[in-house]
Amino acid sequence: MIDWYFSHIVLIQSTFTTLLLALSVQVPLRAGVFSFAGVGCYGIGGYLAAIGMVHYGLSTATAILLAAVAGGAVAYALGLLIQRLTGLYLAMATVAFTLIISVLVVNGGDLTGGASGLFGALGMLDTGHLLAVVVVVVAALTFTELGPLGRRIEAVREDPELASAMGIDVARYRRATFAVSGMLGGLSGSMTVLLRSTVTPDDINFHLVVLALTIIIVGGSRSWIGALIGTVIFVWMPEVLAFVGEWEDVVYGVLVAAAAVYLPGGVTGAAVDGYRKYRRKRREAAASPPDAPPPQQAAAAVGGDS
Amino acid sequence: MAQHILNAVALGSVYLVFALGMALAWSTIGILNFAHGATFMFSAFTAHVITQQVALPMPAVVLIAVAAGALIATLTQVLAFGPIMRRATEHRAAELRILIGGIGVAAIPLAIAERVTASAPFGFRGSTYQAQVFEVFGLRMTTTVLVIVVAGIGIGVGVWRWLATSRQGLALRAIGVDSETASLMGVDRATLALGTMATSGALAGLAGALLTFQLGAIAPASGDQLLIKAFAIVVLGGLGSMGGVIVGAFVLAGAETFVLAMNQGTWVDAVSFGLIFLVLLLRPQGLFGRKEVRRT
Repeated sequence: MIDWYFSHIVLIQSTFTTLLLALSVQVPLRAGVFSFAGVGCYGIGGYLAAIGMVHYGLSTATAILLAAVAGGAVAYALGLLIQRLTGLYLAMATVAFTLIISVLVVNGGDLTGGASGLFGALGMLDTGHLLAVVVVVVAALTFTELGPLGRRIEAVREDPELASAMGIDVARYRRATFAVSGMLGGLSGSMTVLLRSTVTPDDINFHLVVLALTIIIVGGSRSWIGALIGTVIFVWMPEVLAFVGEWEDVVYGVLVAAAAVYLPGGVTGAAVDGYRKYRRKRREAAASPPDAPPPQQAAAAVGGDS
Repeated sequence: MAQHILNAVALGSVYLVFALGMALAWSTIGILNFAHGATFMFSAFTAHVITQQVALPMPAVVLIAVAAGALIATLTQVLAFGPIMRRATEHRAAELRILIGGIGVAAIPLAIAERVTASAPFGFRGSTYQAQVFEVFGLRMTTTVLVIVVAGIGIGVGVWRWLATSRQGLALRAIGVDSETASLMGVDRATLALGTMATSGALAGLAGALLTFQLGAIAPASGDQLLIKAFAIVVLGGLGSMGGVIVGAFVLAGAETFVLAMNQGTWVDAVSFGLIFLVLLLRPQGLFGRKEVRRT
């Protein structure tokens, strides 16, 4: 067990940081905001933490805190700026924002180290710290998924007009998701960089956006559990797929495309649907007496309330 | 100066052919195909593999790339986008899943090409085509540039007029406005979608072959970059306006060439990203787009 832990420590740690990155896209998506600003804040956070450690000698905790706060602030400001966009347009505006950051840091001179990036920003972080941060984040998100708050967020996603007719300030919820997503992105970026000790402009690329999105779609976008499942799948897939060797990326593509076609709610959505179907069958079996009508008719009768 | 303008026109023509394919599928059948860049790259790659075996003239190479592009896009439609559109209940959910499906599909040709070429750039060195250099009014021109500009502008104007005047063009635009009403009017949506995707893929293949002839070689990863540039072009011109795509392609190429000519090479990519951002911020419907009337 301990041997296994030490030989897989990089994968374990990147599971935690990748989960935070995925959550930074999942949180807005759950409120119907299709934003990748969190990925841009991942870059901002990573660079801020590295600059703080390398140029100003900040402590690890201060650097991470700074990254999270700055990420949240930048994303909130961005949210104010582009709040009238929706759907794919919002998505592409935030993708453009993310990619502009990588161009900015290439041209940042000595402060960002230009195209070769920054080195030697090794933070004092271990798996325990990561786990603690993730547990706090997940606990906070669970709180937003339950009860009246969870229902309000669902209303904002499913029907913004209805939600505002019910007295929910839709725009405020949308802006809040920007801030949360920026904080999560900043956390993820700063911790990733402080674990690796380096950051380069190439770390903030389109592929990162794609990774975050595929994790959520394959795992399921309604809850942090989906993001966790997706993260585990995509972080550990190279390890599991080692037997297909160089064709790993082909398998990856096929899996993602198949998930888009056959799993509209992701793995968690399919699991929830499957469970409901099972429950309904059992209820029907219990409800129908031996000489009851054939199951098809019973299903049609119950089908109305599904 | 004039040389820079010529370069910008050549670059813009390639952008135009590529972005036109993307805009065609997006503004009519509502498919923003994220595998468009991979289609572009893999068509050129297919032609590259064949020219390694047989020495072919330029038109044959271009034809192979066009056919490969059409085939890839048709397969994408049949295997991924078609099933998604049939299964999805509402448009917004389908949009997102088409995006993801495209991303997944795009990973497959990219992985194959990177595996075969070891991520190194590839070109058409096996082709019999030799570019002729000649001077017109003191400008250095090659036959490649001439072919690209003529093909780009010809196809750009052709697609634009076809969509605006022909019967199929009308049917396609009707789907773009309201697909349900269109199908009530007798528009066969599935068949048109397949044809549109094939055309769109053929345009990607053409752009792939032209750019590879122009640059000598392209890298397997170049498709992704071009995808975002094409998005910038469509957004700038306005979704649904083919004339806007023509303007957008040359504006972007001109701006990028200008930044390069100013010796600010590291900022070139920021042009397209910044353009997307600014246009969406200031004029979300683009230069020539109609304002979208959509609830919420």
